[in-house]
Amino acid sequence: MNNKGAILPAEDGVESAVIGWLKEALSKKVFDALLIPVEVPAGDSFAYLLLRNPALLENASPLPPVMPVQGAKAISRLTMRGNGSKRVAAIVRPCEARAAIELTKLEQAHLDNLWLITVDCPGVLPLSDYLEDPVAGAARFAEASQRWDRAPMRPVCQICHHFSMPASDLHIGTLGSAEGTVFVIPGSPKGERVMENLGMPLDAALDDWAARVKEMEEVQRERRRQAHTDLKAGIAGPDGLLDVFSSCINCHNCQRVCPVCYCRQCYFESAALKLPPENYLARAGRKGALRFPPDTLLFHIGRASHMVLSCVSCGTCEDACPMSIPVAQVFSLLADRAQETFGYVAGRSLEDPLPLVAYEMDELHQVEQPYVETYHGLQIADCEQEVQDA
Amino acid sequence: MSDKQEFEPRIIYILCSWCGSGGGETAAAHHLHYPENVRPYRVNCTGALPTVHIIRPLIEGADGVAISGCHPGDCHYNDGNFRARRRVALVKSILDTLDLEPERVWFRYVAHGEGRRFVDTATEFNDHIKKLGPNPLKTRSDT
Amino acid sequence: MLEGLKINKGAEEAVRDLLRSLLESGRVSGVLALGRTGGGNGGVAYSLFTDPDAFGADGVALPLLPFMPANAGGLLSRLTLKGPLAEPVAVVVKPCELRAFIELVKRNQGSPDNLLLISSTCGGVYPLEVGANDALEERLPGYWEAVKQGELDSDIRPTCRACVHFVPDNADITVALLGEADLDTQCALYLNTEKGSAFIEGLEDLQGTPLLGELEAEPIQRSRDQRAAYREELFAGVEAGLEGLIRTFGRCIGCHACKTVCPICYCSLCYFDSQDCEYRPEVYETELERKGGLRLPPNTIFFQLGRLAHVSVSCVGCGMCTDVCPADIPLSTIFSKVGDSVQALFDYQPGRDVTEEVPLMTFEEEELVQVAT
Repeated sequence: MNNKGAILPAEDGVESAVIGWLKEALSKKVFDALLIPVEVPAGDSFAYLLLRNPALLENASPLPPVMPVQGAKAISRLTMRGNGSKRVAAIVRPCEARAAIELTKLEQAHLDNLWLITVDCPGVLPLSDYLEDPVAGAARFAEASQRWDRAPMRPVCQICHHFSMPASDLHIGTLGSAEGTVFVIPGSPKGERVMENLGMPLDAALDDWAARVKEMEEVQRERRRQAHTDLKAGIAGPDGLLDVFSSCINCHNCQRVCPVCYCRQCYFESAALKLPPENYLARAGRKGALRFPPDTLLFHIGRASHMVLSCVSCGTCEDACPMSIPVAQVFSLLADRAQETFGYVAGRSLEDPLPLVAYEMDELHQVEQPYVETYHGLQIADCEQEVQDA
Repeated sequence: MSDKQEFEPRIIYILCSWCGSGGGETAAAHHLHYPENVRPYRVNCTGALPTVHIIRPLIEGADGVAISGCHPGDCHYNDGNFRARRRVALVKSILDTLDLEPERVWFRYVAHGEGRRFVDTATEFNDHIKKLGPNPLKTRSDT
Repeated sequence: MLEGLKINKGAEEAVRDLLRSLLESGRVSGVLALGRTGGGNGGVAYSLFTDPDAFGADGVALPLLPFMPANAGGLLSRLTLKGPLAEPVAVVVKPCELRAFIELVKRNQGSPDNLLLISSTCGGVYPLEVGANDALEERLPGYWEAVKQGELDSDIRPTCRACVHFVPDNADITVALLGEADLDTQCALYLNTEKGSAFIEGLEDLQGTPLLGELEAEPIQRSRDQRAAYREELFAGVEAGLEGLIRTFGRCIGCHACKTVCPICYCSLCYFDSQDCEYRPEVYETELERKGGLRLPPNTIFFQLGRLAHVSVSCVGCGMCTDVCPADIPLSTIFSKVGDSVQALFDYQPGRDVTEEVPLMTFEEEELVQVAT
């Protein structure tokens, strides 16, 4: 990556600077269309809009206070069947870009003609908090993000340590920039070409930005470690875990909104788990009762085994849970530990192969159960039996 | 203590059709016995074993799940066992993070000719699970 | 045939005793009812109980809890989807859940064989978020006080407060709750079918006197009138027209949770999640060319209108969709409003009668002349 960027004047704030810059890119035909969050007509939320008409940028926001739809889902819907012919710039949050990278590896998105543009992210508000009063929510978000105060943000945003530049093509650095300016940072040759076409020479040093990001990252890492330690104490073992999921209503909405859960038909909703009534009664008989619909815990642990290696801890699942279960927090913990096992970081780069697609011959010997040649438990037991019988 | 002594675990032993279950056949040919509460479950290749098939028995009534595929380099499909090893590592990581006793899952290679090793694995795993005691998840009605 | 039973116990206790003795006597093999889950942190879910102790004084079962974590109509379908029950199972469900199940049976998604259907005159349920915040327990005294008067607690879901079908249609046994002033000491069980009567008759532990009187008493009528008035009020608030729809569904996040929890939406794979609704980039590019901008993921309004077309004729107004919506869209009000007019068009009432055909599965040669131009 180039360690130089450009400086973009932002006297009227980051939002309008970025919007102005995008408008220019549209008018100079650097991009054919933008994918960007735009305020909905009722003014009570934001939705991703694919637009080519600059007038529609009026209510657009590169950093809306909420994340109603994970941007990677929008990118995937656009490009799941292949690369488009239009050059699209997608303005997304870092976690959305990371999910888009995972989806590309999972062959659910194609990024050849799509530029991922990200901004240093202060987090987003919980959707339910914001919807209670969108105007007050927006104000609260603006005020808190100004100070990089993550307290009103969603719990997973509070412990996010990947809040800055992911493997995006272009990144807007707001941290460490001089008053009234932001950095525009290219992250790929594709991004550099855009800056060239826009006549933005790469002449600004990024040391201030990088230093500030690093500093904040360390703080966030520590917060994350602490939060995960606390969380683990609460969910440990069958009792803790079943307590956390005790109010789950099996709506599977966590899976529905998850950007990396891309299956059209989820295994846990498939015919594989729909069984004859005798089966349910027999299972109930064994335990005294069977929660119905069954397989609540299987769904959560099973879903974890399907997607945690690509989990970007974006928190959309928690936003969509009608029972306010801390799903995203639990999954962020599972994801960190599981990804660590494989030395993988979801969304870090397009080149890292998915852990369950690749393998190495010499690895993970800790899961292999060593065989002790002398273990002849049964034989010994048999001999003893024989002696006793005799 | 007496409870634990009398506890008969329910064990699922997942075997690939080429090596693991071959080990079972060899054991049978040599009249080697293994505990009858170990229930073999044959899959084509451990590389094709969905993670859910390891998790589901643990929630629904098994006390342990053992998995045996071919030795490294012997897989009938070249790399199924390496892929299986990754999946087992993933499941164990999840169980470990949730404190759900990852030691209830065993992964050990058994070749077709290794009847002794097959029986030893079944026996040793059975003893190991007996020591661990019943799986607390299997009696919970709110799973 | 015994038509009713008056039991000298509070309604909750009587119902628990009934279910316990049904299980103990072996008359049923299982009971599907609400119960506590987890370590008692407030989680509530439906369970298939086989252990009679669940219905004892300290048991986890809560058969009459005013809470609906899932529409049990869908659960009964799940239970009997692969074939009818070989052994009898009793279920305690709300009238809307029962109606949903009847609709599913008509669609071959379940079988009522061997099910003992127990329902009650319903005083509504609390929104899911009340359960999520562990605040259910403290509301219960107020709830039952209101029910005794034939009134509804003000925190009950709007859908329930606007529900006029709160007297179960097809229950084998109806527990009278709404407007029963002596709910704490007396329980009136109406045995509507021979099946219901046969299960109860001669059951030990459940002694009572034959019940005289009608279920349809003044408090029921009054509640129906009040709820009908509130229904009008709710319907009047629906923003109609394209602009209204765009305003209402603008904040939809496209999660389709409304579809997932809808008991009538039984498809394993929804059309709107299917390949038919996944487009090549060129399709979006053409749209973009024409409109200047388009929403992604697409089909926000199409999904809602399409789902209305698929389910409104059978919508039982259970309110699950509103309850789960992460964007707080009043889906149930819209679906009930449209449902009412569609159902009136075909003179159809979902869940009324299992032998009545779903209007879109049948036709008459001479009908609906008004739609032909």
